[in-house]
Amino acid sequence: MTRDEFTALIHDEIGLAVATDELDRELDQVTGWDSVHLLTLLTALEQATGRSISLPDVLSAPSLGRIYAVVAGGA
Amino acid sequence: MTTTTAAEQLLRLHRTGRLASDYPLVRDLLADVPPESRDLLRRAGAWLSRLNPDEVLRAHPDTSALTVAITGHGTLAALIAPLTVEFARHGLLLRPVLSDFDSYVVDLSDSDSDLYSARPEIVLCLLDPALIFDEVPTPWRPEDVRAVFEAKVALVAGLAARFAERGAGTLVLNTIPLPRTRTAALVDHRSRAELGAAWREANARLLRLTAAHRNVVVVDTDSLLADGIPAGDARLSVYAKAHLSTELLAGYAREIGHLARNLTGRAKKVLAVDLDGTVWGGVLGDDGPEGIEVADGYRGEAFRAFQRTVRQLAAQGVLVAAVSKNDIEPVRTVLREHPGMTLREDDFVRVVANWRPKHENLVELAEDLNVGVDSVVFADDSPYERGLVRRELPAVAVITLDDEPAWHVDRLLADGWFDTVELTAEDRDRPTKYRDELVRKDFLNSFDSIQDYLSELGVAVRVFAAGEQDVNRVAQLSLRTNQFNLTTRRLQPADVQALIRDPDALVLALRTADRFGDNGLVGAILAHREADVLHIDNFLLSCRVFARGVEQTALSVLLRHARDTGAGSVVGAYRSSAKNSKVREFYPRNGFSTVTDDGAEAVFRHDLVDIAAPPEHVTLTEELG
Repeated sequence: MTRDEFTALIHDEIGLAVATDELDRELDQVTGWDSVHLLTLLTALEQATGRSISLPDVLSAPSLGRIYAVVAGGA
Repeated sequence: MTTTTAAEQLLRLHRTGRLASDYPLVRDLLADVPPESRDLLRRAGAWLSRLNPDEVLRAHPDTSALTVAITGHGTLAALIAPLTVEFARHGLLLRPVLSDFDSYVVDLSDSDSDLYSARPEIVLCLLDPALIFDEVPTPWRPEDVRAVFEAKVALVAGLAARFAERGAGTLVLNTIPLPRTRTAALVDHRSRAELGAAWREANARLLRLTAAHRNVVVVDTDSLLADGIPAGDARLSVYAKAHLSTELLAGYAREIGHLARNLTGRAKKVLAVDLDGTVWGGVLGDDGPEGIEVADGYRGEAFRAFQRTVRQLAAQGVLVAAVSKNDIEPVRTVLREHPGMTLREDDFVRVVANWRPKHENLVELAEDLNVGVDSVVFADDSPYERGLVRRELPAVAVITLDDEPAWHVDRLLADGWFDTVELTAEDRDRPTKYRDELVRKDFLNSFDSIQDYLSELGVAVRVFAAGEQDVNRVAQLSLRTNQFNLTTRRLQPADVQALIRDPDALVLALRTADRFGDNGLVGAILAHREADVLHIDNFLLSCRVFARGVEQTALSVLLRHARDTGAGSVVGAYRSSAKNSKVREFYPRNGFSTVTDDGAEAVFRHDLVDIAAPPEHVTLTEELG
């Protein structure tokens, strides 16, 4: 999954429009972000990648970019 | 329109940023999404909840927006998306006011709280299992849970009473699901049974709060969960403190969507059912009365179950009509004589069997019943007929049935189209009254002039000061009546109750009867006094009885009453809505002069000098107390 595909997935699944260069912002600096979206995002990422992803790893990621790294790193 | 294209179109609107500008189209597209397409509804909810309600209102100023406060124990943000999409399905716009984590006690007990300041039409206080188990010690026994739950019920009951006293808006509570992980943590069956009993007793007390307070509703989550959805999600619960599952919140949101529909006067009134393949199996024209599947055999049983459900709805005031492509005579014969039928001719307010397109029949049916076509729900097993009705009449709710009749009941009830907060006696009698009304219409056709007809009709009008026993019906008239509703101010029962108790307010109720029977409580005038002026805040009359002199009679009584009790004039207002244009001229036609009129809102005054007597054909009884 590319970073562009990752941001497209965020837009389609949780409706949040983030530019690729905003991925490394701290999560609390991302307008419209809420931690309840994490599980939805995780489920969608699991479906897109076809494998299980650790929620605690995703939860401790400080930015969307680091979440992407968790997903991409396991590929 | 298939699900795929509706989904694709929604996604395109989202990706191109046009969900707000195309909001009415969103409603039509969502109407094509079957309830089982949970994932699409979830995503659409996420997209729509990102919109700014003001942006939607700028593009579509006529959209009805409701302020909904969301409070409770756990993290509540996950409710916003499903709620937004359910509101959008009804063309409504959600303005959510989200409370801070676990702040429901302050929210509901402090009359200066942010929640009350937002003046919400609906307050959702979401109760979840953690509300109880956060306070249960470890290790625990069933009696620990009982004690905590009972204390919480007492607390919530107090908050509900506090809310009810304020009299504004509707509070929604819910029963709390008992997670299996709690029951299963007890190893003996005896303790499990004790926990189960204590839990349900506490939930039952929550449910009974609706009997104590008119503006409190309790959603029973058991019936949502019984459809086989998870109550919670361990990861959401542990990591996000959101203790109810996405699926349960979606089911809950669907019920709230219908509640909002009802509170804004959009409840559906008519269920129009197809016959062949819907009410019975087979094709009457081909198979004959003996060949259709009605009660016997596997499929017959399924159709019987559907017929029983339709009859159950009719008994609660839903106007059931048949709209079928058939010749009328064989249909009548089956309804009258077929030994296996549960539904009979008398269960239908209208049986329409002909070969015309169904959308034309539905428009005519709505006209005959004097209701808007948007109050019709249409159920048919034919994709062709459904597609046609959906395209020609997007305001009609269409229920998808197919060739598996065992699913018919589920499909019919999947959406609570006819949900209401409380049934009145008038509701139960409504189908009979509408049937009588159609007989009146035939009677009318036998007269040369409307005046001859009215003289023969024997209209009796009783005008009386409304009492406590009339509260629900008067509120309901304000909620259901769209045409003869001069200002379209919707009132909840608590609002009407407050007016009846207010010495400066006047609530007159109207009952009518004629040679065909009693029409029940069919109208109301709501007014208040300021110095020597009596202001009519609203005038309501059921569409079943207008244009028979009832409205002139009631107005005449009110004007005389105003003069006799020292008023110098009576002021009445008209506020334009999508459906009340036929009463725009009501006041000026009846002796009022125009004070102001800006097109949308007009004010009229009667100087009480020359008060017209009630029409001669009306027999009047007055009980103004």
